[in-house]
Amino acid sequence: MNEQIVWIVLKRLRTPFFVIIVTFAISILGLVLISGVDDQGHPYQMTFFDAFYFVTYMASTIGFGEAPYTFTYEQRMWVSFIIYFTVIGWFYGIGAIVALIQDEGLRRALNLNIFRKQVHNLHDPFYIILGYNAVTKTIINKINGVDYRVVVLDKSPQKIEELVLENFHPHVPSSVGDATNQQVLKMAGIHQKNCKGIISLFENDMVNANIATICMLLNKKIDIIIKATSPAQVAHFKSMGLEHVQNPFEVISKRIYFGLTSPHIWLLEMWMYGHILKLKNRDRFPKGRYIIYGSGRMGKAIAEGLEKAGVVYLLKSFDSKKYIKEKDTAIFGDEEDMQTLIQAGVKESACIIAATKNDILNLTILNSAKQLNPDIFTMARENSLDDLNIFQAAKINKIYVVEKILADATYNFISRPLVDLFIREARKQTEEWAEIIVNILNNITGMNPKYFETEFTLENAYALCSELQRGESVTLANLRRSRANKEEMLQIVFLLLKRGDEIFLMPDSQMDLQIGDELLSVADEEVYEDFEYIINNIYELNYVLDKEEQHRLLWRHNGKNNIA
Amino acid sequence: MNLHKIISGLFFTLAMTLNFGFFYGDPTQLIEHSAYELFAAIVVNLIATVLKLGDRTQLGAVLLATSIVADIQLIASATVWAFAEYVIGGSSIGMEATTAIVSLSGGALLANAVSVILFVGDTLKSKR
Repeated sequence: MNEQIVWIVLKRLRTPFFVIIVTFAISILGLVLISGVDDQGHPYQMTFFDAFYFVTYMASTIGFGEAPYTFTYEQRMWVSFIIYFTVIGWFYGIGAIVALIQDEGLRRALNLNIFRKQVHNLHDPFYIILGYNAVTKTIINKINGVDYRVVVLDKSPQKIEELVLENFHPHVPSSVGDATNQQVLKMAGIHQKNCKGIISLFENDMVNANIATICMLLNKKIDIIIKATSPAQVAHFKSMGLEHVQNPFEVISKRIYFGLTSPHIWLLEMWMYGHILKLKNRDRFPKGRYIIYGSGRMGKAIAEGLEKAGVVYLLKSFDSKKYIKEKDTAIFGDEEDMQTLIQAGVKESACIIAATKNDILNLTILNSAKQLNPDIFTMARENSLDDLNIFQAAKINKIYVVEKILADATYNFISRPLVDLFIREARKQTEEWAEIIVNILNNITGMNPKYFETEFTLENAYALCSELQRGESVTLANLRRSRANKEEMLQIVFLLLKRGDEIFLMPDSQMDLQIGDELLSVADEEVYEDFEYIINNIYELNYVLDKEEQHRLLWRHNGKNNIA
Repeated sequence: MNLHKIISGLFFTLAMTLNFGFFYGDPTQLIEHSAYELFAAIVVNLIATVLKLGDRTQLGAVLLATSIVADIQLIASATVWAFAEYVIGGSSIGMEATTAIVSLSGGALLANAVSVILFVGDTLKSKR
């Protein structure tokens, strides 16, 4: 790439150089040929050196005067011609060089060069994010510098400028570039060893499919996190061997399904996304007839969830674009609309879901429905994060923000793999199981506990791992003791243990631990800090494991013997 | 046949022939070597160099390199001449300076010859 810049510069400088050489040569030759007179009145011929010296300072308009002797009129006539001649050539040359510095192409080449260097200098694991928007911005804010570094590519220069103004710390290397171009992807470091994966969440499924294919060919080892919004597309990606396909509508559909059939599983999932760990009455999905407004990708996905849950529903097709075009407004609720709502059975239904592409339409549909049936439960699809305040003010029971769901799901997959795993495992369990888990968590850790992921390595759990390396066996039950008083239990719950490909949901507390185990635990921050002390500090661990006590007893025993 | 090839071929060859014209003659007799010819050789060499700028091929790079060598040699030759005439002084230029001027241009001739041979070779290699 460096080479390329040099070539661009050289090629552009051809003409200016040529012009300067020719004007100088003609001027010098003229001065040498014309005879002059020296200070004593003898005829004098300028040498090449005299002429070169004079032309050099004359052309650059420095002008030291006539040298070596005062010029004759013949010489002055020639000089007045070459002044214009060389100065024009010289100025043209300078102008061309200045234009070159400001040249778009050259600047782009320079910026690309900087970008390549920045990516090359990343030594931590990083993700390549394609496209900069509200979703990817949320993801960057969450993972940048905490878990991974990120590199961003976007087609539009404005988006990249926005990103630069955001001043992320640590720095996010970014470049304008077409993500479907292999050269650009290579520059973004897809071949680098520390490239963990690529995130492609474009609106257009075709673009995502295209990118997935290219990335698979370029580097088989990386994670490809991709968005797909239709079941056919999801199936296509799965057949390509892509592990992680993000379908926000499927997430919503599943949530509604679990919300209806097993609210505690729903609660466990929502808690992982920041909900408090308690099922409130207003969270419960109502029983009765459902109406879905809008039969696009989301409407169909929800219908599937309702079908599985065995709920009676009406899927009403509604084309938001056509509506806006015909009525010339995005506000739903004239006489005709009210009639259609009544026909759809609003008055007899328990819940209405507005799932069109237009946020304002969704809002007004729900408002109209509430006018007809004040008790109806309302759910809305919200497409962009920007409108969140309006939706919250409208007192809608449940809001599904597509962008946020996408960002959260992606974040969990990248940075909280055990949480992701736990949600998937929990979905396979029964409602009773989930209720017991929620009760256990509430009793031990309270209403709003946090979850933590720990991998047992020498770096994260020094004391525990050195204990295990010595061949001692340590169980989870051993670790669940307070370091202040080992007779007391530490208020921590171990939700999931991952050992290689094996997954233990609610692991048995008598299970022996191994180095490399990954543990998902729930506690409040203080308790988790204690837990970290125990697994990292040899003295704390010995105390908890009763080893310190053994030493002391042994010593006392010996002492007594001595006295006797 | 294209115009660019004709012009560059012309300048490459002219650079070599002018260089030869200056170099040819008794290396101890400066009178046999014309200052005008040296001037022309320098100008034509510089133009030839400019014409070789920005060619990204392997051959282009080598051509540019030989041309820059010729420029350096010829400008050194002219510099020695000016130095001997004005700085060292004396009624005429000494023997040492004279041979230096001529032999420097001889080196440039060699570089120019390489350049022309490469150029001709490339032309022969291409089918059309």
